[in-house]
Amino acid sequence: MIGGRRDMPLNRDSTGRFLPWLIAVMVYLASLATMGALTMTKIANEWQSSLTGQLTVQVPVSMPAVESRDAAEDEQVQILLALLKGTPGVESAILMPLDEINQLLEPWLGVVDASASLPLPRLISVTVSPDAPFDMAGLREELQSAVPGTTVDDHQQWLNGLLDLAGLIKLVALLVVVLVGLSAVIMVVFVTRMGLAVHRQIIELLHLIGAHDAYVARQFQWHALKLGLRGGLIGLLCAGATLFLADHFVSRLQASLLPDLALTPLDWLLLVAVPLIAALITLITARITVLQSLARLL
Amino acid sequence: MVRFEDVALSYGDGPNVLQDVSYQFAPGSFHFLTGPSGAGKSSLLRMMYLALTPTAGRVTIFDRDTAQLKRQERAVMRRRIGVVFQDFHLLDHLTAVENVSLPLAINGESDRATRQDVAELLAWVGLKEHLDALPPTLSGGQQQRVAIARAVITRPALLLADEPTGNVDDRIAVRLMYLFEELNKLGTTVIIATHNDSLVARFRHPVLRLNGGHLAVQKQENVAAARLTASAVVESQAT
Ligand SMILES: Nc1ncnc2c1ncn2[C@@H]1O[C@H](COP(=O)(O)OP(=O)(O)OP(=O)(O)O)[C@@H](O)[C@H]1O
Ligand SMILES: [Mg+2]
Repeated sequence: MIGGRRDMPLNRDSTGRFLPWLIAVMVYLASLATMGALTMTKIANEWQSSLTGQLTVQVPVSMPAVESRDAAEDEQVQILLALLKGTPGVESAILMPLDEINQLLEPWLGVVDASASLPLPRLISVTVSPDAPFDMAGLREELQSAVPGTTVDDHQQWLNGLLDLAGLIKLVALLVVVLVGLSAVIMVVFVTRMGLAVHRQIIELLHLIGAHDAYVARQFQWHALKLGLRGGLIGLLCAGATLFLADHFVSRLQASLLPDLALTPLDWLLLVAVPLIAALITLITARITVLQSLARLL
Repeated sequence: MVRFEDVALSYGDGPNVLQDVSYQFAPGSFHFLTGPSGAGKSSLLRMMYLALTPTAGRVTIFDRDTAQLKRQERAVMRRRIGVVFQDFHLLDHLTAVENVSLPLAINGESDRATRQDVAELLAWVGLKEHLDALPPTLSGGQQQRVAIARAVITRPALLLADEPTGNVDDRIAVRLMYLFEELNKLGTTVIIATHNDSLVARFRHPVLRLNGGHLAVQKQENVAAARLTASAVVESQAT
């Protein structure tokens, strides 16, 4: 048994019996919240890295008859492409083929030659060197004066919205972890105080024989650690099972929007750390509670 | 060793249980403390094992005013004081050996290292067969001997025993008294509260008598050896 002496029969206390289950629930919640935050970070990073340096230039749609349209647009596209390629910092500027646009629209419109029947804008995909300083506003102005109506989308607005959402989710996850930790502390304080009250006579005797408060605290803290570890293990197993299931479903989705969400070894390490940290919190809380309560006794 | 100066004691707002107690227990002395039930014997001992501080006056132990001790200092001082409580105060869920080794554990000694010594002492007080028995399974007299073993296992500088032979037959009582005398010969100051007059008569040590809250030295025709004489000044006033 950890801690050696058991001068107080703490493991017979009914108050301590439900503590592992509460800790288990808390560890479970904290683990999932942590993993949620980690996943959100991964998704946000993925989006950010795949979208920075990417611009989409949209050639305005001219509305006259379909035959003359292509010619006019081709000309505009050539002007814009030339301009873009001459801009310092631009690595490549490629006109998106109509096939590709059709493909993008397929989920919404079905397999049709959309470009033939719809006035779709032409899109130029631009890659900007990540190192070179780049004058976004200047480029936008230049393109618009060359071909009025041209728009440049650097995806920042969309990305910022997503990043904000990701940030919010992370914040909520952090809040969950903090609240769960706080409740764990309150629970342990409560259970420890109950223990002190139940074993008051024994503690008085220990004091009369010359025990320091730390001697008493040690027995409480090892007991609390044991309960914390037991609960943490249960919580960890449940969280592990949940994540395993989630992982399974995500990998079946094969959603292209989602980056690789598989848990890395580091993630698993973090997951294992959660119950250990919980047990440590239990130990420290029990110790501090005992020392403070006993100091108040005289 | 232990000095009382004009000590008075009351519980809460109650009347004085002890009054005008002045006495000095010399180092290495051996005293009996007698008096009718309710006279305050246990109360006097409680002040000596630092469970109570006097309402008035001063109790000095090991040259320290007990009222001035800090929490930590009190714990350290208590380790030099062995106590046999009138109601034993054994831990019911611990075996006899574990109970007796408690003060050693508090001193930081490991149970495994001390088990041999503890077992020997328990055998000496006649509990060889009950080393791993839980107190509730022992008779009153057996429990009392466990309590005594726990009090003496650390060879304390001061031994306070409250009615330590109350639950045993005379033969065992005498044997236990020899244990206290052995300890006393090794330098321990011993104070024993008892009702047992025949024991008091048999072992010729100075006798203090509490009555009506006052302490008096009871004259014995044959006061024991000189080393045992207390430097006693006793004031006993009529109320
Ligand atoms: N905890 C307490 N609270 C209030 N009064 C107490 C308390 N303990 C003892 N007393 C009172 O103090 C007086 C002395 O009690 P004490 O236990 O010291 O007597 P005693 O000489 O040890 O008696 P006995 O021989 O029966 O053990 C008694 O009148 C008792 O009622
Ligand atoms: Mg008494």
